[in-house]
Amino acid sequence: MSIDHLDHLGHPSTRPATAPWASAAGGRWRQAAARPIAFACDAHARYQCALFRIGLSGLVLAFLLREWPHRRVLYGDRSPWALDLAARLVAENHAFTVLTWSAGRWWFECVYHGAILVAALLMLGWRTRATSVLFLVAVLSLQNRNPLIGDGGDNVIGVMAIYLAFTQCGAVWSVDARRARRNRRDGRVDRAGFVMWQILGVALLWVSDGFQGTAWAAVLWAFWICQGLWYAARRWSRGAWSRELLDAAATMLHNCAMLVIAAQICLIYATAGWYKIQGTRWQDGSGLHYALHLDYFSPWPGLGSLLASHMLLIVLLGYGTVVMQVAFPFLLGYRRLKTALLAVMILEHAGIAVLLGLPFLSAAMVVCDAVFLPTALLRPSRRSGSRPRR
Amino acid sequence: MADTGGTGPGRSLPSLVVLAVTAAVLLGAACWHLATLFLAVTPDNPVRSRYAHLINGHVYPEFTQGWQLFAPEPLHENVVVEARVRTDRNSEKPRAGHWVNLTTQDVAAIRHNPVPSHAHQNMLRLAWDFYQNSHSRRNAPIGVRGILFGEYVKRIALQRIEGRRGGLDGERVVAVQVRVTARPVAPPRWSDRASSASVQSARHRTLPWWSVKDQDRRGL
Repeated sequence: MSIDHLDHLGHPSTRPATAPWASAAGGRWRQAAARPIAFACDAHARYQCALFRIGLSGLVLAFLLREWPHRRVLYGDRSPWALDLAARLVAENHAFTVLTWSAGRWWFECVYHGAILVAALLMLGWRTRATSVLFLVAVLSLQNRNPLIGDGGDNVIGVMAIYLAFTQCGAVWSVDARRARRNRRDGRVDRAGFVMWQILGVALLWVSDGFQGTAWAAVLWAFWICQGLWYAARRWSRGAWSRELLDAAATMLHNCAMLVIAAQICLIYATAGWYKIQGTRWQDGSGLHYALHLDYFSPWPGLGSLLASHMLLIVLLGYGTVVMQVAFPFLLGYRRLKTALLAVMILEHAGIAVLLGLPFLSAAMVVCDAVFLPTALLRPSRRSGSRPRR
Repeated sequence: MADTGGTGPGRSLPSLVVLAVTAAVLLGAACWHLATLFLAVTPDNPVRSRYAHLINGHVYPEFTQGWQLFAPEPLHENVVVEARVRTDRNSEKPRAGHWVNLTTQDVAAIRHNPVPSHAHQNMLRLAWDFYQNSHSRRNAPIGVRGILFGEYVKRIALQRIEGRRGGLDGERVVAVQVRVTARPVAPPRWSDRASSASVQSARHRTLPWWSVKDQDRRGL
């Protein structure tokens, strides 16, 4: 059944329930289907998603600024992982990066500073539909230019940047939300977004022969076309029904992306925990002792040795870590326990950040943990909390 | 933006059909994605080996699942990478320089630094990991990656040594050599391992000399 055909049936929101082809059985089926679909079309975890957006992009922004003095050695023209080496690996594994498109230093500097700009804009929530996709492009481009310097933290950031592009991360706590609110109040129509969409389309056409393989080109074009459909549905009044459908589908996509993000975080903890259980050093409680005596992970050796000298503490913290990582996915079901668990996890990550000198990895995991915070905590109820949902 | 949620009963049948199909497609895609991720992190099993091509094609490289942080065993060796160069002065007999400890430079940069850079914490450390995993014990590269990762280690050593202030006195580097020492972290006093016989001497590995051409210095 094509969309045109459905559209021809008229605007269904005003359509009586007694359509000629809707029998009594159909009506019952409809009743049963309407509820789960209404649930699926309702945007879930909008505040968590906004927090995730702010955390992730803020983290990338901080990382890029911190590595600014080392940028050329890590990702640029002075890297031991020379551009031709990177290009040969990319040709083999089809990773996505725009940095192999030109060997010029100007191109690298453009991409690096563009990434800083995009991360800042996404954090503020400016035009998130576009900036979240550009953020994904920027993060993957840098990471795949030199995949040999990324640790677990970079891995988390890269994967989550992909998922974030599929969410409606600018629905609250963003410049976008404020603009939408004002436009609605003043009865204005936003035109700048449409212009930006056109510019991005031309840019995408311009670079479209630079992609390794077709998958990423297809993903980026799909983003662009969907947004175009949405504009088209707004533009023509006949599209009222398709507009509603598009909005509902976009919300469903957001919900699915949030589901995938949550499951991915559980998978991270479960993997880390269940594999630790198999290690003899974690079994005998001495795992943490080794971690605290690695030269590459001891910015404060005195502090590490002090901690490592307490047998009881090392064993308890070691077992505690493994138990929490293993239990994490299962404890999320208990609402009251959940917040306490998350608080402990965040404290532990703060400890890892300092003791093992892994601030970005730890911060990435804190941002992930925050996805599970309850809405009531994130959104203190103003005026008895009865503001209608938009 | 119009309210699209909470008006379920008002939706027409065609709307419901379209939305149900959309929901099924999206949920199916999400489940398929998560299933491949799950299979990418499981230990080897028949399902995984039968569909390895499908799973790897989807998961790598963008969804790489490297979550076995410090597992199953925590890192328990301090690996030290050293390098030296052979220089050529006015067609005299080339001579080998002193070993330069590259890891110490990294550790010094990390010490008392609340925000260590990837350039110090990860670059050399992971480069050696990648080299080890892509070379045989006799230093023969395995596949294209072996060749690439070998060149990477060589260029890191070259960059570090040639980049030292006044280190080479204008002499030209013609070859570079790398050696690696892995020192196990001593087990805690209260552990059974401390008394067991398998404690653990340092492992050494010296790589062959690699000749250096101008091409190897590109960009450094």
